[in-house]
Amino acid sequence: MDPARPLGPAQIDVLAQLAVATILLGGIYALIAVGLTLIFGIMRVVNFAHGEFLMLGMYLAFWAFALYALDPYIVVFVSIPVFFVVGLLGYVLVMRGVIHASHNVQIFTTVGLSVVLQNVALVAWSGDFRFVRPWHLSTVLRAGSTTFNLTQVVAFLIAVALTVALVAFMKWTHAGRVMRATAQDRDAATLMGIDTDRVYRLTFAIGIAAVGAAGVLVAPLYSVYPTAGLQFVLLSYVVVVLGGLGDMLGAMLGSLIVAAVEVAGSYLFGAAWKEIFYFILFILVLVFRPAGFFGQRGAETLGV
Amino acid sequence: MSRVVFTMVIAALTLALGGELAAVRGQAVSGEYKIGVLEPLTGPLAFEGKRHLEGLEIVRDLINEQGGVMGKKLVFAVADATDPTAAASEANRLITREGVKIITGTFSSRLCGAASEVAARHNVIYWESSCVDPRFNKRGLKHVYRTEIDATGFGWYNVEFIAKHLAPRLNLKPNQLKIAFLSEDSSYGQGVTESARQRAKAEFGMQEVMLEYYNWTTLNDMTPTILKMKQLNPDVVHHIGFGNDAVLFWRQSKEQNFLFKALVHAGATGYGGADFGKALGNDANGVFALLEPGPGFRLEALRPEGQQIERAFRDAVQKRTGTYPFGAHQLAGSGVWLLKLVLDRAQSDDPEKFRAAVLSLDLPVGSTINGWGVKFSELGQNANERVQHYMLQWQNGQLVTVWPEEFTTLRAKWIPLGLWDQRK
Repeated sequence: MDPARPLGPAQIDVLAQLAVATILLGGIYALIAVGLTLIFGIMRVVNFAHGEFLMLGMYLAFWAFALYALDPYIVVFVSIPVFFVVGLLGYVLVMRGVIHASHNVQIFTTVGLSVVLQNVALVAWSGDFRFVRPWHLSTVLRAGSTTFNLTQVVAFLIAVALTVALVAFMKWTHAGRVMRATAQDRDAATLMGIDTDRVYRLTFAIGIAAVGAAGVLVAPLYSVYPTAGLQFVLLSYVVVVLGGLGDMLGAMLGSLIVAAVEVAGSYLFGAAWKEIFYFILFILVLVFRPAGFFGQRGAETLGV
Repeated sequence: MSRVVFTMVIAALTLALGGELAAVRGQAVSGEYKIGVLEPLTGPLAFEGKRHLEGLEIVRDLINEQGGVMGKKLVFAVADATDPTAAASEANRLITREGVKIITGTFSSRLCGAASEVAARHNVIYWESSCVDPRFNKRGLKHVYRTEIDATGFGWYNVEFIAKHLAPRLNLKPNQLKIAFLSEDSSYGQGVTESARQRAKAEFGMQEVMLEYYNWTTLNDMTPTILKMKQLNPDVVHHIGFGNDAVLFWRQSKEQNFLFKALVHAGATGYGGADFGKALGNDANGVFALLEPGPGFRLEALRPEGQQIERAFRDAVQKRTGTYPFGAHQLAGSGVWLLKLVLDRAQSDDPEKFRAAVLSLDLPVGSTINGWGVKFSELGQNANERVQHYMLQWQNGQLVTVWPEEFTTLRAKWIPLGLWDQRK
């Protein structure tokens, strides 16, 4: 496995498989991060409870599967309206009160929400690891010597579709334009007659719907338990910062970069190193390009 | 007249009620013996912590059916030790507010160290049933005891199994075996792995081809590690997993068609937990996990008193949970049962008298729950060779006892493991 060994067919196979692992893992990260970057970008709120909404999505997949034998690929269509409503409620009950408050207050609020949701899940469903095992769980597609896990392929494709749809929505619909206007200058938007409260409500609901759907899709790949969200949430912040706050395409690319760092780091140096590498990258980006690789300069302070 | 009757009724009621209350209170004061119980009941370790508590409660009820401890009813003051900070502060609360003289717990190596430090400061006895951090008994704390073996004991048993059972069945000498060590990076994982590495090399000359640690809570993909291992071509993978990482490694090894001859794990987490079987069904076939005894365990291999308590314990677990005891039940249960034996002998919770009773207890293998024996060292550690451990294997959705063979009716299968789709 000496990386310095000259490239032979075996090495090329390994490289191909590592590339596939990167793309598929990146797909999962993108799926989770896209809702976060939307909320981050438009509302300028760091949603620390993002991982817990992911966890709720995973539980939805679990219960639908355990009680009604519903495949996660069916549940995902149900999850979008369900989590849209959850997002609306979350906004009305929690976020609306702090949307104009300082960042510190918002952070405390969302961290509090995160702890509440974790413990609600713990009380309601116990701390047991749960599993969703649809028939296609261990289906593997093979191309040459390279293998693709079907569930991950689907997650990746949906992540791409979701990103493209959100970008199109933001760019070409009236609601999208209104959302961008609000992000750029909340006061000016209000003066133009935009109901910013409505914009934030919609943004939060869409962001939560996206992460809820992500939870349903990743449930078969990982264990479902009350703190399952923590496994991904820290990493989602890295992705969002790399990609530029609020930049959906940036989040997609950021996900692939984080996945590449993780896969290459694990392969070359060992799994213990992966976090060291991507957090070094995170710090470097914050120091040298605070708006992210793809964000506009100064975008990080817009509207604050 | 009616007023007199009324007054009398009131007086009678008052006396009756007062008497009742006094009786209840009297029983509470003289008839109960309270110990502190610390387990992680919320947070990431809760799923195992709750099972430990269940095991403790089941054996507490058995103990109370058989006369309690020191002639009193054993009761628990339970506290939630979700992380090391909480473990320390809750231990403090149990001692200062609940007034306990003995604390037992705590499932995780992350928690037992912090909690026992607090107990030691208050000169309270700490009776550990399940954490396996090797440092636990080596801090010069006089009233800290552990009924379970430590991680070095796990590593010792694992290598014993690999050298004496796997190697002959693979037609290899132990020094021809290529072994890859993979582990989560808690003190538990490191303790087991380092002691296994040391014994594998020093005593048997096995060839270590890889050593890798990782943090299981943030691990989302094991493909890179598996690809690396595949090229090193180990015979045996010694993998200490904790949770989802075990499922991930096994599932992705199958996806990558990574073929090795055996996988050996130790402990009730990861491959050794019921969740591993739930997640993978028959795909789990072939994995070995060093544990307390499971199905196949021969009661007749135990001494008569061991058979009696083991049978009562199994029945009680079956009655409450509907299943064979899980490792968590067995560790916690045997821990509190040994506590009863010591307390009955000491007839006191005075730390010095208690210590004398602990050190004088000398029971051979097969005497208590799990077929364990007892012989504590001066450090307060029960001896490796008395705390008999067993190799279990996943066979068609169940962890069954396969080694040592004199203790079981079942035999290890799939050695070597063979192709992924042929392990049926």
